[in-house]
Amino acid sequence: MHPTTLMYTSSLLLMFAVLLYPLLVTFTSLPLNNDWASSHAKTAVKSAFLISLAPLSLFLSTGMEAVTSSWTWMVTTTLDITLSFKFDHYSIIFIPIALYVTWSILEFATWYMHSDPLMNRFFKYLLTFLVAMLILVSANNLFQLFIGWEGVGIMSFLLIGWWHGRADANTAALQAVLYNRVGDIGLILGMAWLATNVNSWDIQQMFILSKDLDMTLPLLGLILAATGKSAQFGLHPWLPAAMEGPTPVSALLHSSTMVVAGIFLLIRMSPLMENNQTALTLCLCLGALTTMFTATCALTQNDIKKIVAFSTSSQLGLMMVTIGLNQPQLAFLHICTHAFFKAMLFLCSGSVIHSLNDEQDIRKMGGLHHLAPFTSSCLTVGSLALTGTPFLAGFFSKDAIIEALNTSHVNAWALTLTLIATSFTAIYSLRVIFFVTMDTPRFLPLSPINENNPAVINPLKRLAWGSIFGGLLVMLNINLFKTPVLTMPAELKLAALAVSILGLLTALELATLTSKQFKVTPLRTPHHFSTSLGFVPAIIHRQIPQLSLLLGQKIASQMVDQTWLEKTGPKAIANATTPLASATSNMQQGLIKTYLTLFLMTLVLVTLISAT
Amino acid sequence: MNPFILSILLLSLGLGTTLTFASSHWLLAWMGLEISTLAIIPLMSQHHHPRAVEATTKYFITQAAAAALILFASTTNAWITGQWDINFDLHFFPASMLTMALALKMGLAPVHFWLPEVLQGLDLTTGLILSTWQKLAPFILMCQIMPVNSSLITFLGVTSTLVGGWGGLNQTQLRKILAYSSIAHLGWMILVMQFNQQLALLALIIYIPMTFSTFMIFKTNSSTTVNTLAASWAKTPALTAITPMILLSLGGLPPLSGFMPKWMILQELTKQDIPLTASIAALSALLSLYFYLRVSYAMTLTISPNNLNATTPWRLQTTASTLPLAISATISAMLLPLAPATLALLSL
Repeated sequence: MHPTTLMYTSSLLLMFAVLLYPLLVTFTSLPLNNDWASSHAKTAVKSAFLISLAPLSLFLSTGMEAVTSSWTWMVTTTLDITLSFKFDHYSIIFIPIALYVTWSILEFATWYMHSDPLMNRFFKYLLTFLVAMLILVSANNLFQLFIGWEGVGIMSFLLIGWWHGRADANTAALQAVLYNRVGDIGLILGMAWLATNVNSWDIQQMFILSKDLDMTLPLLGLILAATGKSAQFGLHPWLPAAMEGPTPVSALLHSSTMVVAGIFLLIRMSPLMENNQTALTLCLCLGALTTMFTATCALTQNDIKKIVAFSTSSQLGLMMVTIGLNQPQLAFLHICTHAFFKAMLFLCSGSVIHSLNDEQDIRKMGGLHHLAPFTSSCLTVGSLALTGTPFLAGFFSKDAIIEALNTSHVNAWALTLTLIATSFTAIYSLRVIFFVTMDTPRFLPLSPINENNPAVINPLKRLAWGSIFGGLLVMLNINLFKTPVLTMPAELKLAALAVSILGLLTALELATLTSKQFKVTPLRTPHHFSTSLGFVPAIIHRQIPQLSLLLGQKIASQMVDQTWLEKTGPKAIANATTPLASATSNMQQGLIKTYLTLFLMTLVLVTLISAT
Repeated sequence: MNPFILSILLLSLGLGTTLTFASSHWLLAWMGLEISTLAIIPLMSQHHHPRAVEATTKYFITQAAAAALILFASTTNAWITGQWDINFDLHFFPASMLTMALALKMGLAPVHFWLPEVLQGLDLTTGLILSTWQKLAPFILMCQIMPVNSSLITFLGVTSTLVGGWGGLNQTQLRKILAYSSIAHLGWMILVMQFNQQLALLALIIYIPMTFSTFMIFKTNSSTTVNTLAASWAKTPALTAITPMILLSLGGLPPLSGFMPKWMILQELTKQDIPLTASIAALSALLSLYFYLRVSYAMTLTISPNNLNATTPWRLQTTASTLPLAISATISAMLLPLAPATLALLSL
């Protein structure tokens, strides 16, 4: 075996072993020591991260990619399924980033979940999730990817419903599972089509063999899968609801790793999509709609975690737009940079929540700039990175995306929506910072504000470094596959920045109105649209089930019970037979004369009839 | 009753029916019918109870009317065709009169009205004789005058089954239930009589043990209403367990023997290409089945409440003879597997 390939496979194997060892330890019946979470789980992830730096550096220096196929798992007549790993540009860069972020989150979770009696189980779940995510990312065939896909789905369910005594958490977990399931239909459709038409689930074989086929149907399936997993519009309500889980879960799953799985799938399958204009346009418009819609919803949220969740959703929409522009690598770039600052934003909100004794409403926060300076600084850095402040992490990916959007032949509607969403990003980011860190405190006086624990400071510090330098580091070390358009009019070049600054200024202006009455009666309709999340949950979660249940009740009671059983069926027979029975027995009056007369009449009738 | 008188009456009863069976002259057949009527009248009114006397009177009047019509019809037939032989076909005019008269004798609808009231006024033994023995003679005469494709016969048959079904639904008195059951069964027999007399005879042969068993069971429990029957579970538990079999056999439920005639009759009717009649008859059997099921439900399938003394009676050796009931109950419940042999034995 080539030494580079050997290095790649052995380091991945070592990584899996290091990550799986703590999990396997939990299957023995020995009780875990109290700091198992910090001594075993977190350390395992840290070691895995350090191990993964080896293939990363090798890749950055040689640029070599590898595919490893080991053990043949299933052999059928037409389709072979092997265990095969792909070490390409995407997986080699993503794995260290994911491990870095997970390491920070796990360290934070040792502080955040400290008082939870089942903390070890929590870490076990997080580790299992991580393993599933790594399987997904490194998979070279769709079957292995599906294993990882389902794995992250299940772990998401278990982790969102962590506090399962709370009914909202259970419904949120169910929502996550059901919406993901709908997406899975698309993935299975794609897999089935590919298995029957291209006869392979291997990525390399699929790319070669599908050159001349019309790939619209499987691509639609894959887009549906991405819609489900990455919370695009239509299958998006589960992501804000997933904030019912603990903050480390939100930070790991629902910002950095799991929700990008759908986008990652599309990035992996992008060579299939290159020539299919339908799929590309669908991605573009869906992404634009998602990013705009969720940014609108984020504007009026009062729960700090929900704002960040909608922000995640909006960024996922942006990634989908990028795929629709046929720029998968830029989408991947955004995944990587987004992981840093979004995880940091979630960890900051976790720190704030714990400091204010589990207060999540931003209207009851304030003035934390003085009381928790490090957290507020990180919050600010994260928000700036999110809005695409020049030369922070988010800038390199976001600006590149918007430049690509501006210089390509796309429909103006998608372009407009994306730019408006970018400005909204600035607005709600300012809203968070304004309400949380600025002005005077609005929380209870005896709040346990203490961010001096190294388990809080170190993760935030690490992720802050990542948010500041991450984009630069990645950009410097990779080669872009597609040549970006580098010359454009100044307005287009500065469009992203201008739109963000415009949003920021508008938000600042609006912020000064908090203490003044601008209009006599405020304009409520847009506010209602935003607060009710576009009425999507109200319709889909309540209206449609209500109609279905009503229909069911009507069928059961009116159609079956009343109509078939009573009016036309058994009861009708009973109602018809009863008068006949009573008539027959009531004819017996006891008078012989009547009987003999009847006999005479019958006799006469019969005789007359028989005579004719 | 004085045993001599009782034996004279019973023997005359037997004589009358045998005479009708053996005769080939219409007058002799009529004589047999009259003898059996006259013989049973004292039996019916032996208790001198007003209700029994009323039943006797009603019975006498209707049977006398029917017998008079039989005499008139056979005389008319002798006038028209010039001969008194039963074996020769009748002219159509006396044929229809004879059919109506025999229908009145047997208790077929629409001239069935006397049967429930008469049967209700009798004690169970006499009622048994009326339901079983007294049907034989008119039945045999009916067999011998059958035309083919007569709509009158079909009308009598279908009406009888329906009336037997609907009438019995509203009854709580067991004797009236059995009266309507008799009407329904006779309806089935009449339906098939014009196509295959063997099957009609089969129906009668199966019907008689079943009715015999039910009357004997009611006599053993000395109950005449459904409510008194409900207390039999404590008195005669074995009999209580067997009774549903007999009753459901009356209802024509497979795999009991009562299914045999109904099955064969439906098959014959279908072969004769009158499926509508067959369907109506089958559906009317459902009505009868319901009230048999109701009786067996009240008797066996539920344990009716009773005072404590009645639920734990002394069970003493009975002096009554149980052999007849045992034999007839076995026949009426378990004869279905012997259907081919039974049919072969009954070829007229």
